[in-house]
Amino acid sequence: MSAWAGNPWAGFLLRRLGRLAVSLAVLVTLAFGMIHLIPGDPVRAALGVTAPPDLVDARREALGLNDPIGVQYVDYVRSLFSGDLGISMTSGVPVSETIGQRLPATASLAVAAFVVVMLAAIPLGLAMAVLTRGGRRRGAELGFTSTSAVVAAIPEFLLAVGLVFVFGVTLGWFPVAGRSHAASYVLPVVALALGPALLMARIVRVEALAVMDEDFVRTARAKRLPPLRVYLRHVFPNALTSTLTIGGLLLSGMIVGTVLVENVFAWPGMGMTIVSSILAKDYPVVQGIVLVYGAAVLLVNLVVDVLLAVADPRSTIREG
Amino acid sequence: MGRDQWRAALRNPVGAVAAGLLVVLAILAVVAPILWGDAAEETDPAALSQGSTSEHPLGTDALGRDIMLRVLVATRYSLGLALLATAICVVAGVLLGVLPAVLGRRAGRLVTAAVNLAVAFPGLLLALFFAVIFGVGARGAVLAIGLAGAPSFARLVQTNVAAVAGRDYVAAARVAGVGRFRLVARHLLPNIGEPLVVNATVMAGTALLAFAGLSFLGLGVQPPAYDWGRLLGEGLDRIYINPAAALAPGVAVVVAGLAFTLLGESIAQVVGVRAVRRRRPPAADEPAAALARAAAEPDAVLVADDLRVGFPAPGGGWTHPVDGVGLTVRRGETVGIVGESGSGKSLTALAVAQLAPDSAHVTAQRLEVAGVAPLGRADAEVRELLGTKVAMVFQDPMTSFNPSMRVGRQLAEVTRVHERQGRRAALARAVDRLRTVRVPAPERRAHQYPHEFSGGMRQRAMIAMGLMSTPELIIADEPTTALDVTVQRQVLRLLEDVQAETGAAVVLISHDIAVVGQLCERVVVMYAGRVVEELPVGRLGAAAHPYTRALLASVPDLATDRDRPLATIPGRPPDPADRPEGCAFAPRCEFADDACRVRPGLAAVAPDQRAACWHPRTQPLDLALDAVPGGSCDTDRRWGAEGPPEPSVQGVGRLERVRDPLHDPTSDRGAGGQA
Amino acid sequence: MRELSFEGTTVRFGTGRSALTAVDGVDLTVPAGSVVGLVGESGSGKSTLAKAAVGLVPTTGGEIRLDGAPLRTSRDRRKLQLVFQDPHASLDPRMTIGESIAEALPGRRRRAARTAEVARLLELVGLDPARARSLPSGLSGGQRQRVALARALAAEPEVVLADEITSALDVSVQGSVLNLVRDLQRQLGLTMLFISHNLSVVRYVSDVIAVMYLGRIVEAGPADAVLSAPRHPYTRTLLDAAPAFGVALDDPVPADDPRLDAEAPSPHDPPPGCRFHRRCPIGPLTRPERTICAETDPQPGAADRPHRAACHFATDLMEVPAP
Ligand SMILES: Nc1ncnc2c1ncn2[C@@H]1O[C@H](COP(=O)(O)OP(=O)(O)O)[C@@H](O)[C@H]1O
Ligand code: SF4
Ligand code: SF4
Ligand SMILES: [Mg+2]
Repeated sequence: MSAWAGNPWAGFLLRRLGRLAVSLAVLVTLAFGMIHLIPGDPVRAALGVTAPPDLVDARREALGLNDPIGVQYVDYVRSLFSGDLGISMTSGVPVSETIGQRLPATASLAVAAFVVVMLAAIPLGLAMAVLTRGGRRRGAELGFTSTSAVVAAIPEFLLAVGLVFVFGVTLGWFPVAGRSHAASYVLPVVALALGPALLMARIVRVEALAVMDEDFVRTARAKRLPPLRVYLRHVFPNALTSTLTIGGLLLSGMIVGTVLVENVFAWPGMGMTIVSSILAKDYPVVQGIVLVYGAAVLLVNLVVDVLLAVADPRSTIREG
Repeated sequence: MGRDQWRAALRNPVGAVAAGLLVVLAILAVVAPILWGDAAEETDPAALSQGSTSEHPLGTDALGRDIMLRVLVATRYSLGLALLATAICVVAGVLLGVLPAVLGRRAGRLVTAAVNLAVAFPGLLLALFFAVIFGVGARGAVLAIGLAGAPSFARLVQTNVAAVAGRDYVAAARVAGVGRFRLVARHLLPNIGEPLVVNATVMAGTALLAFAGLSFLGLGVQPPAYDWGRLLGEGLDRIYINPAAALAPGVAVVVAGLAFTLLGESIAQVVGVRAVRRRRPPAADEPAAALARAAAEPDAVLVADDLRVGFPAPGGGWTHPVDGVGLTVRRGETVGIVGESGSGKSLTALAVAQLAPDSAHVTAQRLEVAGVAPLGRADAEVRELLGTKVAMVFQDPMTSFNPSMRVGRQLAEVTRVHERQGRRAALARAVDRLRTVRVPAPERRAHQYPHEFSGGMRQRAMIAMGLMSTPELIIADEPTTALDVTVQRQVLRLLEDVQAETGAAVVLISHDIAVVGQLCERVVVMYAGRVVEELPVGRLGAAAHPYTRALLASVPDLATDRDRPLATIPGRPPDPADRPEGCAFAPRCEFADDACRVRPGLAAVAPDQRAACWHPRTQPLDLALDAVPGGSCDTDRRWGAEGPPEPSVQGVGRLERVRDPLHDPTSDRGAGGQA
Repeated sequence: MRELSFEGTTVRFGTGRSALTAVDGVDLTVPAGSVVGLVGESGSGKSTLAKAAVGLVPTTGGEIRLDGAPLRTSRDRRKLQLVFQDPHASLDPRMTIGESIAEALPGRRRRAARTAEVARLLELVGLDPARARSLPSGLSGGQRQRVALARALAAEPEVVLADEITSALDVSVQGSVLNLVRDLQRQLGLTMLFISHNLSVVRYVSDVIAVMYLGRIVEAGPADAVLSAPRHPYTRTLLDAAPAFGVALDDPVPADDPRLDAEAPSPHDPPPGCRFHRRCPIGPLTRPERTICAETDPQPGAADRPHRAACHFATDLMEVPAP
């Protein structure tokens, strides 16, 4: 510990991991509490009003719902640590097995969309910033800002419906449902990525424009550096912080955004499962999937914070 | 937000369209269920799941109900639910957001932490979570969406409150004894109202879309009730048969959502700072011939004649913060420019160095900088020609360095680009230059980031950056204003030494006439974008322009008589947009008369001294120059009987000699220099 | 008007690595009816001291008293009023200046009485009472600073603290605000702590001058005495550095000695012994025999030295030849 005390990085990571632990604890508690916050008897709700009382009671017993709440909580946490997320109330399949099957489809969709967002948005945003700096090209600026505002405001599931109609139904270029070969990724990824990409490009542009107004860019110009060098060396690195922050938020949003897109494209991921489970009141499955989404989001936040600390020489890690 | 701003938001085409759409939607929400409510429920067994027909333009659903009517009627329910969710979100958000300001420190921090934790989770995840708890259905969905949006709204309120709470006027109210609740009600909330209104509007759009999403997933509105999302979900199943059944509610949702979002954004644009518009430069102005100065010095590094810098005015037309400045600086000369903030000093400097902001329009009868006439040339050409001939030192050494680049590399960049030096050679020169300006441990410092430097050291590094090559002109714009007096003295001394060593001309800009008096040979006084007087420092006591004289008299120094009131200048400097006709100083001048309605030109009042005034003063001013009991000349007495400590040897410990600037300094590193 | 005194006032910010003592055991008395000027470079803790007095930052030690009675509650502290540096930030942009001033009036009053009082205050600071209904955005910096003074006076304070109130103003306006401060002080017999980094400005309004360095008062005494016969080398250095007409930069002053540090050390990590010793022209860096400076803190014996100077050698410089 004392050897660590001097190292700001160790201190930072320790603090940051501590925060992750607290967040995870809150997440687990909420997931656990979800079943107990539901008004009425969740088992009765899941099995329907016609289910015989002794079946309901047997199921309650099996789920441990008849134990005191403290005991239930301890059991829940203990089984989480052993990788046991419970058993589906309707199908009887272990939840971890279901998630194991469904997770890859969701993750590949989210990651593919994220990569597309980053590759498209950063160059676009920077280019627009350079083109429209200092009030140049009002037309291009207005076109970009209003188009991107409009498109970014269309939610992914509506975009998905539109894409299905145009490219699936009318043109028949891409499959409209299911996950198979690469072509089946095109529409879901576009539906998921388009809005965030435009949002991100807008933010990159605004940030880059703000940096261009900074004193040190004036200094760079006073050094008579070529414009490309000014933009790449002095402007972009300083717009990176907010780009990263927003990128993290977008990634979290896209992970969960898959729920809607999956339901449009009948994508066999967790999103399909969670919706059908909510409707079927299959609470253990819902709990498990909420935990996975939540943990993924917290992980993304952690990675972003570490990247921010690495990227910014003034970052808080030195101040503590 | 004033009425004018609302109007401006509506004048913006996007805002106007959005507002118009919202009005239409509101009307529909009221009348559609009354007019068509029953018809939309009518099942037509003869027309189940039809495509578009003349009777049912958008087709029918599985029970044969008319889809167009159902979309229209669903307006009320869709909007109503969305607004309800928004209301929940805003109320919960504002409560959570204001709580930290009302609660004590510790409880406040807890609330903030909780909100921060919740914000990390995307809204949809929260909405799903709440939907499970509150149950599937409209009521559950309203609560879920409202509460899911609350954390981010709370965070918004918190950041805004924190920003406002840090302002001096809130501190002042607290000092005046204003209580917590009144503070929130009177000072905090009203000052964050604008962003809140904007975001609530945007939030309404988001809620509408989110609602449609939940209904689409089957988690929202349950049959027999229907909203757009539900219609959309039903339509999607049959998109191959009747695309309109899915597209119509989809379009309705998008249009309504966009109307809210875009209205919010156009309000935000009006409220926020608007970008400066670039406009075509004005047609060539009538030459201010009377003011032009013809005779240019042969050995001048800087000649500016009738230099004007214009910006597009908000109400159309142009304003000229720099309005016909003439300035000549000879090789090796130090010239000071003084004037109050807003008098155009910095803009003059930037325009001369070709660094004026993009939206500025720079003209001059004649402009020559280091033998280059930059006006009318392409940027690249100016860069090429000026290269490293003009060095700049800016006011705020903190913000003038790139925070994410090591200092050494920022210096080295100059020679790497302009002299195509290799990395190591350039860095070696940077270290050498840092040593030259007395930055301690230059090798180590070169590898540090700017924030690891102190203010004075940054300013030294800035000067070192100018010395990476051999500048002919150094323009220092308020280089010491952000520094303490002791550090100021050292930076000024450094500038003086640099000037002596390199022979570069120095233009020192300052609001402090005493600072300029210490370093410079000649002083140029600016007022309202014009030069009003130009004189050698030694003649400051014989300043002729009433403004120069007032400036000198109104600033207390260590010799000012404490029993007499300070001289003051009534009024305030004019805004460049409405500079008075004639002499700009006339409204504040005690000698103004009818003659002053005509703009005075700079005219000689003594050898080397020119003033722009119809009634130049001739009486000498009492500047109590050398009789200052406590001025620097008093050093001996101040250090007491013991006498001052041995003065440092001239030159040593000031500027380490800039080794012959024409040679590569890296070649004789470590040698004691040629002094 | 009553006497304000700081006794061992200490303010610490932050914890661990980032901890810093911005105000470190300050003893300072502002006698009733007089103006004490506080000078020092930025970051020396002047503003923090003023904020601690009015309760905007919590103190971590010591006592602040008004006529000997410790200030504890916010009601006590209302007797001290602070005027801020930036006149553009210190008035609520959404309140008319009349409302801003009225808000500070103590007790409940009838509407008419409030209006009359606001008008009286505006007149007192040289503004047209009809201005009461205008918003701050219509006022110049100097006018706003007058409003800020009026608001401070509205609270019927025993002591006014003015923190760099002329630093953000144009030089041509600064003079009129300084005149106003002096007039008000004489007219109302105000007790005042006047903070500025500018010695000439402080000198113009103050009866007593206190010099602050790295969180401590290193010298305090009657204005004339401190300026003409300073006891602490830091005060001398400040005076030497003040720009003045007719004094060339290349006349070296003792602080130009290259062996000395050019700038103040980090407040996070103040040097041992005398905090000024790495910059002191008569300290151990120029006179190696003065090892005491680097080892022993001169603060403890300060009260017994002339001008309460925090310097071991303050008395060595006693005899100053007559001018
Ligand atoms: N809220 C705060 N948190 C941490 N440090 C602070 C805070 N306020 C002031 N400081 C630090 O306290 C020191 C004294 O600051 P200040 O009182 O503003 O000095 P001055 O008014 O003399 O310029 C500085 O180092 C400053 O950075
Ligand atoms: S021209 Fe007239 S108004 Fe202007 S400064 Fe001279 S006397 Fe005053
Ligand atoms: S104690 Fe020593 S170092 Fe400190 S001020 Fe006095 S002489 Fe200088
Ligand atoms: Mg301060």
